Amino acid sequence: MDNRIPDVSPTTSDAPADFEVALVSLNQWQLAWRRFRRHKLAMFGSGLFLTFVAIAVFGPFILPYDATNVPYPLKFCPGTTISANLGCPPLNGGHLLGTVGGTQEDLLTLVVNGSRLSLAIGIGAAAFASVLGAIVGGISGYFGGWVDTILMRIVDVLLSMPLLFVIIVFAKVFGYGDWRVILLVFALLGWPAIARLVRSLFLTLRTEVFVDAARAVGVSDMRIIFRHILPNAMSPIIVVTTLSVAGFIVTEAFVSYIGYGVNAAYSPTWGNILSNAQNDILVGNWWWPLFPGLAIVLTVLGINFMGDGLRDALDPRSRE
Amino acid sequence: MTTMSPSDGADPGTAAPDRPLLDVRGLRTYFHVMDGTVKAVDGVDFSIPPGGTVGLVGESGCGKSVTAHSIMRLIDIPPGEIAGGEIWFDGRDLLKLSDSEMRHVRGGEIAMVFQEPMTSLNPVFTIGDQISEAILLHNDVDKKEAAERAIESLKAVGVSAPERRVRQYPHELSGGMRQRAMIAMALSCNPKLVIADEPTTALDVTIQAQILELIKALQARTGTALLLITHDLAVVAETVQTIAVMYAGRIVEAGTVDQVLLAPQHPYTQGLLNSIPGVKKRGRALSVIKGVVPNPFRLPPGCKFQPRCPYAWEACTASEPDLLPASNGATSRCYLHSPEGASRREAFEKSVAVTMESVDG
Repeated sequence: MDNRIPDVSPTTSDAPADFEVALVSLNQWQLAWRRFRRHKLAMFGSGLFLTFVAIAVFGPFILPYDATNVPYPLKFCPGTTISANLGCPPLNGGHLLGTVGGTQEDLLTLVVNGSRLSLAIGIGAAAFASVLGAIVGGISGYFGGWVDTILMRIVDVLLSMPLLFVIIVFAKVFGYGDWRVILLVFALLGWPAIARLVRSLFLTLRTEVFVDAARAVGVSDMRIIFRHILPNAMSPIIVVTTLSVAGFIVTEAFVSYIGYGVNAAYSPTWGNILSNAQNDILVGNWWWPLFPGLAIVLTVLGINFMGDGLRDALDPRSRE
Repeated sequence: MTTMSPSDGADPGTAAPDRPLLDVRGLRTYFHVMDGTVKAVDGVDFSIPPGGTVGLVGESGCGKSVTAHSIMRLIDIPPGEIAGGEIWFDGRDLLKLSDSEMRHVRGGEIAMVFQEPMTSLNPVFTIGDQISEAILLHNDVDKKEAAERAIESLKAVGVSAPERRVRQYPHELSGGMRQRAMIAMALSCNPKLVIADEPTTALDVTIQAQILELIKALQARTGTALLLITHDLAVVAETVQTIAVMYAGRIVEAGTVDQVLLAPQHPYTQGLLNSIPGVKKRGRALSVIKGVVPNPFRLPPGCKFQPRCPYAWEACTASEPDLLPASNGATSRCYLHSPEGASRREAFEKSVAVTMESVDG
């Protein structure tokens, strides 16, 4: 029998490869980043979002006032005869966004400090929900059978729970107005949707030949789920996670606005600033609801632009 | 039971020479689906000696791939079920091993090469990562050493510039190159048996020949046993020592390459050989086996091939024959080789002679 290994390729490794062009191997993330960078709206949205994140992280250290301490109670708004009792409009006496309330708090300071929890809850709940959803969805879709049945019924039950009801119950048990309770409830009610998505992705991916090939090499089930299949399912998970950050920020604002969210006495959030603002809209203090509202809209818009860009960048087929 | 003895050229392995490396006995693999039960594999027996090479041939859906997946225990349960039989490998019944024991067998002792090199590599990992993973799973080496061995194994399968290839992703390689990488991965842990499931079907013809040459050369050099699964008779003719022909979940004929391909003893094998187009048949209509593969939910009574068989008589519908010894030493699941069929055998043999005349080579 012929013992020679047929070598069809003319070059071996040590031969000079003069034909070698710039062969840079880009992995899927590098390729996606290249596509993302060309997406103008997505870059703008990411810039917007990252600006708010930077403000949340560094803002409170830079601002001259802190959230609770009122600088100097005034009788009248600077340069006018308007009573300062209900706050002063923007651009007066060093208050860029004006002051609000009887205590004449600096609105800029409030909004900047509020961004911390609003963003933390949004990002934290989305991350928490995604990790949990990926684990449960991955196991459910990979193993199928009774494991899948049990996990998906739990998902069905959780998806049928009304958010407000759960928040009230949790607030009763763990304490009212605590941001950690809000984050926990969001994550708890958020993961089932992600689990369903991941499960459906796994149902398709687990029939791929490379999964059989990995099993045929002796890779364990858990390693196949998290090391072999999950990276192939990452693109849609990243897109959904990003968009759900926006969803959770809006939900937090809504829940806090109606008074079941984070307690304003504990810490400001964009939602509870709006909640406190609602009465003063009637007396013409338009700036009080405007600026926290604008912060919410711009952040959510930025995230949504970013999500759209990620969708296009991570799934090249979705683009024309 | 069919025993296939190693013929010339086989590298005697380390195991006792008289004990087969792989011994499949009465394997039954069923799939329970909505419309009923598909008996994809229904009583298959064959064995491979250490270092031996066996070809499993048959049309799509005859159960050859399911047999391979059953040996590796890659059948999804449910809907699949290994309903019976034993798979003895190196002194152990694989069907009785625990999942973790089976993981050591997979890749470490039995490796598999799949049909589709385009999809059998994970798109998100580099070639090197995937080969290294197999090495790390079955050998006590660190990552650096595994990476070096991945390069070596790529070099051994004739991949040029392996140092660069290990850093590339599957989409950057051609089909032939990927199949070489798959073979490198399969051989990286020095398995005792390689199962190649249609390894050349998805490749174009020139690459097919190269990959077959490679498999043959590596098999001869490493002395690993080979189970080659294919629907292409030309592929087995060049690569293996013994052949088993499958039809509707059972082996219908088994013997050495020369026995089966030069003097087929089963009408189905004859039909397969007859339908190979050739230069001598130029201008004539291609001959085909009449009828279709039986519906797996409604298998015919008696011999599964009898509705399509030109030689069938009452005995064939009454019961299914066992594998009967034929005059040339092969075995055939056909009543033509029973005493009652003796009178009809002459017509069959004449027809075979005509068939063989028209087959090229």
